[in-house]
Amino acid sequence: MSEMSVMKALNLAMFEEMASDEKVICIGEDLGKQGGCWGTFTGLQDKFGINRVLEFPILEAGYTLFSVGAALGGYRPIVEYMFADFVTLGFEGIVDIAAKIHFNSGGVDSCPVTFVLPQGGGGKSGAHHSQSVEAWFANVPGLKIVAPTTPADIRAYYRAAIRDDDPTLFIYQRATMGLTGEVPDVLDEVPSLAKAGKVVKTGADLTIVAYHRALVNVMAAAAIVEEETGKTIEIIDPRVLIPFDKECVFDSVKKTGRLMVAHEAPERGGFGAQIVSWVVENCMNELEAAPVRVAGVNSIIPFGDLEKYLYPSVEDMKAGILKALI
Amino acid sequence: MNFSNEELLEMYSDIVKSRVLGEKIVEYIYSGKIAGAIHPCLGQEAVSAGILTAFKKSDIKTFGTETHRAQTVMAHRVGWKPFIAELLGRTGGCNDGISGEYHIHDLKNGQLPAAGALGGTWAEISGFAWALKNDGKKRQIGFAPYGDGAISQGATYEAMNIAALFQLPVLFFIENNGIAMSTPVEKQSPLENLADRAAAFNMQGVTVDGDDPVAVAEAVLNGMELAANNEPNVVEVKTMRWEGHYVGDPQKYRDLSYKNDLDSICPVIRFEKRLKALGILDDETIKAVREAQTKEIVDGFDEGLVQNVATKEQVLDYSRVYSNNAGGEL
Repeated sequence: MSEMSVMKALNLAMFEEMASDEKVICIGEDLGKQGGCWGTFTGLQDKFGINRVLEFPILEAGYTLFSVGAALGGYRPIVEYMFADFVTLGFEGIVDIAAKIHFNSGGVDSCPVTFVLPQGGGGKSGAHHSQSVEAWFANVPGLKIVAPTTPADIRAYYRAAIRDDDPTLFIYQRATMGLTGEVPDVLDEVPSLAKAGKVVKTGADLTIVAYHRALVNVMAAAAIVEEETGKTIEIIDPRVLIPFDKECVFDSVKKTGRLMVAHEAPERGGFGAQIVSWVVENCMNELEAAPVRVAGVNSIIPFGDLEKYLYPSVEDMKAGILKALI
Repeated sequence: MNFSNEELLEMYSDIVKSRVLGEKIVEYIYSGKIAGAIHPCLGQEAVSAGILTAFKKSDIKTFGTETHRAQTVMAHRVGWKPFIAELLGRTGGCNDGISGEYHIHDLKNGQLPAAGALGGTWAEISGFAWALKNDGKKRQIGFAPYGDGAISQGATYEAMNIAALFQLPVLFFIENNGIAMSTPVEKQSPLENLADRAAAFNMQGVTVDGDDPVAVAEAVLNGMELAANNEPNVVEVKTMRWEGHYVGDPQKYRDLSYKNDLDSICPVIRFEKRLKALGILDDETIKAVREAQTKEIVDGFDEGLVQNVATKEQVLDYSRVYSNNAGGEL
């Protein structure tokens, strides 16, 4: 085990996958001497060369589509967008082309591209550099969405995303890039994207499903509420949103009878609404109270410190938990 | 570049095949046998014939898409019967009639996936061409065609930039038929020749007469050779669309007086005159070629029409959507 940050875990996962499969390539901006905008590609081009770590001009639409062509040519591209917001320019390549490759080829060809999206708040960067995009893609059949939080999960599920044969969005949060944790020196087995839900904390009175910084804030809030109320709270990190590990959540809700979901993306049309729907459809008899959502405000993200008014804080999480426990 | 008499006659056969296919597509759409928006190639047959001639003559293998009016080239790639069956939405199609001719995809035959929103496949094909080059595959290139309308999309500029920057084996081909749906080319671009855009990326761009299959074939062959030497380039061919954007389009947006004398602008008749002057084509052969091509196409349609349409289970088959069991239910 070694203690490392999310940033280091991202870098490690790419080193491991590029070493294990020579068809894995990296595509994005500033991937050369800069090592990527966030430093996550540090050392990769020195180690694997310019033909495996391709530094592109600023053309997200072009390199998204390029990656699909390279995948059809037998490669497994990792494609980074500097900010997840910039994926708007790559939307056609992901949603219209990559997601449909397998279907339109009659199940013959696959499109093993991993689209890497550093998203969300924390950078105080305002409206065009702080959005959370998972729900934009959750409505598109053919795509998978991987969204781990801890360094160990980032390392394992990044590798799983790269190995998956289907187009996969790997979404992590910039605000938690500095989050540290224990990471195994060797990953014995790269996990499947199926059944990825993880109970990170057991409890009896409420189930909370949360990911990214919302998960970090929920953990803090839950500890406070447990201390104050004597209730115990079960917290689930789904780690993968598509395919979603429903059973993991259902099993927990059937035990606790209550559900809260939390994420930073705006509440309206957010992925949390989907989780609530699944639970209501399948666990109605066990639910003792209406599920609660704690999510981003349905508004535009302002610049600087003002962003704190948009994203759910520890206090907001605490209020949500208390509401869910009523 | 010289073409033998046999090559010229095959070129003639291909231009007639394109004409007959266009006519049959119109006929079958009106009789309700073909569903969806299919864009017939009438008026633009020399383009398909020229491309096909180049593909057959060269030892360079191409991977690419086609413009939506170059169905004869699509059919050449994926096979006539699978093509027609896909066009008809029947199970003998290259994807069981489920993707449709518009989304035809058959990588083993060099057919890369097309895109509904135009512009993007130039970049997609550039990515495929990068893979060819990186794998050291000689004499294999990406063939990236679009019409005059699509190449106003930003993605085509990004693709040309990428291809030029990485020196990729890709030929960008512009089938300029003078009109994008209803908008004439002079309202789309300030350039007289769209191939001039290549200069912005330090690439060669040439413009030739797209109603002359020999000129098209020569330009494509030259472009393919350059591409095979990792010199991406642009070939533009200028032609004219006879039909509306879709079959049945009343075309209120343009002067239709050209329809009064189609023979004077017909690329098939023009090529017939040229081959007759060369002494390698006579009226008897013209009749025979037309009959043979009509038979092949009609037989293909007849064969396709008796095939089944895909079942609900085939369409909603999980394994068509995801490559492995980690996809979530449909």
